[in-house]
Amino acid sequence: MIDKLHEKVKSLLEEKQVELVIGWGKGSLPLTATPVFIKDTKDVDQLIFDHTCRNNLTMYLTKDKKSLGKIHDKIAIIVKGCDSRSVVLYAVENQIKRENVVIIGVPCSGIIEKKKISELTNDMEVLSTQIEGDHIIIKGRKEEFKFKLTEILSDSCLQCRYPDAIEYDHFIGEPRGEIDINDEYSVVEKFQEKSSKERWEAVKEEYSKCIRCYACRNVCPSCYCNECFVDGNDPQWIGKTPEVTDSIIFHLIRNLHIAGRCVDCGSCVSACPVDIDLRLMNKKVEKEVKERFNYVAGIDINEKPAMASFCEHEKQDFILD
Amino acid sequence: MIEIKKKQFGDFIKNLMETYRVFAPTKDGKKSSFSEIKKADEIVDVHTTKSAKSVFFPQAEVLFNYSENEIEVPNLEQKPIALWGIHSCDTKGLLSLDKVFKNAHQLPNNKMYEDPYWNKKYAESLIFTLACNEPLTTCFCNWFESGPFDKTGADIFVVDNGESFLLEAISDKGQTFFIQSGFDQEGEHQHAVFSLKKKAESMMEEKQDISSVFETLNEIQEKEFWEEITQKCINCGACTFVCPTCHCFDVSDEGKHQKGKRIRVWDSCMFGIFTEEASGHNPRGLSYQRVQQRIMHKFNYFYDNYEEHLCSGCGRCIRVCPTNLDIREIVKKIIKRKNNV
Amino acid sequence: MCNTYIPFQMKIENIIDENPDRSLRTFDLSFVKKEDEEAFKYLPGQFCEFSILGKGESPFGIASSPTEKGLLKFTVSRIGLVTNEIHHLQIGDIVGMRGPLGNWYPVEKMKGKDIVIIGGGFAFTTLRSLIVYLLENRADYGKITVIYGARTPELFIFKEELKEWDKREDLILHLTIDKPIKGWNKLCGFVPTITKNVEPDPTSWAIVCGPPIMIKFTLPVLSELGFDDNIIYTSLERRMKCGIGKCGRCGIGSKYICIDGPVFSLAELKKIPDAF
Repeated sequence: MIDKLHEKVKSLLEEKQVELVIGWGKGSLPLTATPVFIKDTKDVDQLIFDHTCRNNLTMYLTKDKKSLGKIHDKIAIIVKGCDSRSVVLYAVENQIKRENVVIIGVPCSGIIEKKKISELTNDMEVLSTQIEGDHIIIKGRKEEFKFKLTEILSDSCLQCRYPDAIEYDHFIGEPRGEIDINDEYSVVEKFQEKSSKERWEAVKEEYSKCIRCYACRNVCPSCYCNECFVDGNDPQWIGKTPEVTDSIIFHLIRNLHIAGRCVDCGSCVSACPVDIDLRLMNKKVEKEVKERFNYVAGIDINEKPAMASFCEHEKQDFILD
Repeated sequence: MIEIKKKQFGDFIKNLMETYRVFAPTKDGKKSSFSEIKKADEIVDVHTTKSAKSVFFPQAEVLFNYSENEIEVPNLEQKPIALWGIHSCDTKGLLSLDKVFKNAHQLPNNKMYEDPYWNKKYAESLIFTLACNEPLTTCFCNWFESGPFDKTGADIFVVDNGESFLLEAISDKGQTFFIQSGFDQEGEHQHAVFSLKKKAESMMEEKQDISSVFETLNEIQEKEFWEEITQKCINCGACTFVCPTCHCFDVSDEGKHQKGKRIRVWDSCMFGIFTEEASGHNPRGLSYQRVQQRIMHKFNYFYDNYEEHLCSGCGRCIRVCPTNLDIREIVKKIIKRKNNV
Repeated sequence: MCNTYIPFQMKIENIIDENPDRSLRTFDLSFVKKEDEEAFKYLPGQFCEFSILGKGESPFGIASSPTEKGLLKFTVSRIGLVTNEIHHLQIGDIVGMRGPLGNWYPVEKMKGKDIVIIGGGFAFTTLRSLIVYLLENRADYGKITVIYGARTPELFIFKEELKEWDKREDLILHLTIDKPIKGWNKLCGFVPTITKNVEPDPTSWAIVCGPPIMIKFTLPVLSELGFDDNIIYTSLERRMKCGIGKCGRCGIGSKYICIDGPVFSLAELKKIPDAF
């Protein structure tokens, strides 16, 4: 499959259909891919695609006030299922012109969440890994572990309905097809079983870890505002300290801002340097939007976004709730 | 060098607490950081997620409280700090920060601006640097004329040989502590320490010669160089917040007009808003300019002022970067460029 | 130990609107405590952190001269949170102040020399300080030439003093606006062009202060006229926060504007990458 990907990218560059291809390359650490920006056909071999290609690269389309798009007329981007939904989101929200981006879709069989490995190995430093069928062997300096892939794939991937790119110009590889997931909100349901006091305590505990580095926001393709509400100082909506009272406002408002816009790509979860469980609340909001408005982000490029349309029959009970 | 058996360690910490507030690496959720401990068994022996700078330079620190126009400065006369279990890289980080917080002076009359919040805490502290027996593959302290057993900046240097801690007094403060504690430097453990040191050093990746970096950075004029090597940066502040040497901060008021506090909070040159002026003008409005600033500050500007790099090779930024923008690779590219010219 | 983060108190004594749209206001402040006044020794070119508790601090160049005892003067343009709050202050209000911070114009080295002062817009504040200082010590200095430009006549600050200075024989004042306007009988044209026409003697010391674009185009004019880089001085502005070289915000190259500046010679600036 990787050869076909290289070929396709090479031909796009040779035929000058695009000036730049954004994809993944081998990172400097085990289990870590890194974004690469290919302009020259001689660099095409840098491109990889495997279980380590975590980053949702579409965020580069809106980075720096869309500066890449200003430099390059046409950009190609390699996308997994979740990433392709971000491209759809951008098109729906008028952040990109769909025709200016060449989308190379790939089928994804899940991305490894390094944090799960850390937890399972008591923070062992991983020196090398080897995949054997549906298992992975993880080697450290003194120890070696063998896990089922399903034990260490990201939760987003384990509950992913759309592993193949949904929107694409070129599709490389064998599509896996839509997967029937019936527990996609299991984390939310489990959480909702708790009492409201317990939930509040849990949320506070989680967000008290935050160091306000904004890695979650900055890796998030859906967070592309030119000025984020946390950065405004006139008025200053929230304090800048790592106190939980400030952090919680940042996270909960970010949750609401990406309501009906989060594609559950798992980037924020992986990016967080202090391992906050960022997915729970994202899923909660996603579930609400799905139940109330029958809307799932990034699926249909012709559908109006949930928060930008209004139907009279929509439930409004929350107003009096 | 004196020996403290691990069995006696609890008592050692307890005694230390009579004179000092003891800070050490502890669990912090799933991660780890330095915090004040009450008992020795809270201490963990890990490469901490966050650096030790927060002990002396907390992420948020009250400069003063105010009420109407009355200003009240928090009490800086606190029990001194003993910092246990800090690795050489973080100890060196503190030395760099001390240069900033202590040495900044105004031109042309050379008036010194001391930082009372940092100075007193750091000056009175007792630093127990713990030799790093197992460096990670992301550690690169050996690039900076340092290593896992570097004693620079330590008051007392500690080696963990498995069953005991071996303590060596390094600074005058360390010597005084030894005398006051009734320790004598007699015990001979040099051999054991030497082999642990060799072992730790052998675990490190190959050292880079970075002597050309400062000069090369003086010469790089074209923005394309920076654009290319920094393209994948998403400008979050993770690297700067876990860094033992990044010291930029913001000053901000919390509360309403009548009552509140003025605090300083870590800030990051990675953030676009860091240099944005009220007029909207931003000298570092683009992503690459900010990464350039971070790299230049660490490997050129600071060097220009203090003849040392503002990086101790702890590797934390490499471990947390969401896009695997590896600072070692950037430095290698700078070195390579020098060799190509 | 002296804690430079703690502001001392000052009282608003007078407020002057400098322009018709009231976006520029000059504040005269007096020291509340005698000991603060005694400790406050400054020279033209230095700045202060103006502090409104609950809103924060903003750096401003001191517009008064140390020869004007007992008061400090600041001209504040309303552009952000703190400056907006400052504009709402009333006479009698108490505010916080930290300073004096930064370095100053080379008033000692310039003794016995001719001086040309070039300014633009509302960045004329520390230049006012300098001019008042020079005039107060008039015998120490040679010929003093001032070139001051603004977009329109309304946008000059310190208009009353400009009138006074215009009448003086020991100071040559060239006022210029961008485009001709009815009733304006002084110069028209941008500051760099006017500087070229005025042709100051390149043995005089030049002090240039104004918007970045004006500085950028004026410095080459002076160089062409034969001014040495070591006798051209300018003052830079950045978003200084701590004011004492620690918070890292105003770094340009290996310098911090708050402690190594804000006043730099052109020779120094040429060693700093991206100074403009």
